[in-house]
Amino acid sequence: MSVDTSAGTSTEDVREPLSDLLVVDTDVHVHESPELLAPYCDMPWKVALETIIGTPERYLDLPGFSPGNSAFHARFPTAHERSRVVHTPEQMRQELTSIQVDIGILFPDHLLKLALLTQSEYAAAIARAYNAWLVDQWTSPEKGLLGLVVACPQKPEDTAREIEKYAKHPGMVGVYLPCAGLDIMWGSRKYDPIYEAAQAAHFPLLLHSVLVTHPVFPFNNHGFDTNFGRHLTSHTFSVMANIVHMVETGVMVRYPDLKFAATEAGIGWVPFLWWKLDKEYMELRRDVPFLTEPPSHYLKDFYICTQPIEEPEDLGDLVKMVELMHGENTVIFASDWPHHDFDHPMKLDQVPFTNEVRRKILGENALRLFNIDRSGRRLGLD
Amino acid sequence: MDPAESTVEAGAVKSAGGTGSAREFEVCPVDQLPPGGHVIRQAGNRQLGVFNVDGEYYALPNICPHQTGPACQGKYLVGAVRAGEDTDWIPEWIFDGQVMVCPWHGLEYHVPTGKCLAFPNISLRRYHVFVRDDMIMVRL
Repeated sequence: MSVDTSAGTSTEDVREPLSDLLVVDTDVHVHESPELLAPYCDMPWKVALETIIGTPERYLDLPGFSPGNSAFHARFPTAHERSRVVHTPEQMRQELTSIQVDIGILFPDHLLKLALLTQSEYAAAIARAYNAWLVDQWTSPEKGLLGLVVACPQKPEDTAREIEKYAKHPGMVGVYLPCAGLDIMWGSRKYDPIYEAAQAAHFPLLLHSVLVTHPVFPFNNHGFDTNFGRHLTSHTFSVMANIVHMVETGVMVRYPDLKFAATEAGIGWVPFLWWKLDKEYMELRRDVPFLTEPPSHYLKDFYICTQPIEEPEDLGDLVKMVELMHGENTVIFASDWPHHDFDHPMKLDQVPFTNEVRRKILGENALRLFNIDRSGRRLGLD
Repeated sequence: MDPAESTVEAGAVKSAGGTGSAREFEVCPVDQLPPGGHVIRQAGNRQLGVFNVDGEYYALPNICPHQTGPACQGKYLVGAVRAGEDTDWIPEWIFDGQVMVCPWHGLEYHVPTGKCLAFPNISLRRYHVFVRDDMIMVRL
């Protein structure tokens, strides 16, 4: 007896294999070293970079370049590859392909700690060198490798000029806002030149932190015994603090066309923060009189990268989480490749999202955030 | 000797037949897997890590149940730390040379038992390993 197995099925019922889906990875890291940036750096800072060439480098920890965090805790032997780096676009393309990523958005390694540098002119020179190096050596829509202009919080006007410089570049699609060790958070009006330039360029801005121990909140984390506590708080608390600051100073009101994203903080904190902001607003509206709607209204288009995705025993809880944060159109996949806590797209693929939500989170939402097509080409360029 | 130096290149193992539904596969000659070493081998449709821990052989699947990382491909075996009431909550070093660490995300597995140290409810399957005519064999 034959059975008609097609009865009752539709295209939407068929779960496409991951390999057939567009996967946009909104957080991958290139490895920029002093010797690579020096040729792109202005004098006299080029000399300073050349001086530290060959200095023994720990992971994201190089004196005079990325002040490190290696000194505070005991290290036991491990086979966990905690120091993976990617040196070339070819290596990146090959490795992203191996984890089924089609388009990768490039962040730096060492410049995750750019905000820690105390010499503003030096920091700005390194940022300019990185942007120039990235455009010259890395970005390629054909290879699915797209860059972000690194913002230098020590020199906002300089960053604004860099954004204008790359506004029409086909390989640059946004602005990276360093958060680690950031002294004055991104809500300050001192950063308005950056927001004005980003809005004019139609560039989204992406918050990204990293583990550091530093006197500024929330990096005054020396109270924790171990990196177990410091790593969690450096990323998630920093992103949450910056969003609160941006809301309480009205960044989203002053620049309503800007799009933002939070990276490397997971997603579980989002409903809490959105609800908590609205709760505070009820009592303290007079502190934020420029808001005419509850804060969550201004965060509807705040994109949230998945990595490091929480891994509850019941992955269906993540479906509920995305529903709670109304994240169907704002949650975007990120792997954080090649870092030690990267997420394979397969992990997101295991979550029982509907096919439509799955396609959006893995790729389509990011296309909208970065205003690019499925082949990585920027839309709207003349 | 650095255990990492004894790691043999991955490759397919040769089927040596077997009785009933069990299948036996050659891993490597015993002199190619000294204490502290491990090899990665394809056995049928399974990829295995075969270890020599203090003269005893163990075979585990080379796939981490976390995110499917190559659990057995860490460069070397290590130990682990534990703490409990019996140590007054002070860490102590245990399982020296008996723990493999998934290179992807660092989950630790005790090779002789297959137990995951972070999640007691997770144990990797263990395959039978034996020596025949100076050849290390695994039975699936």
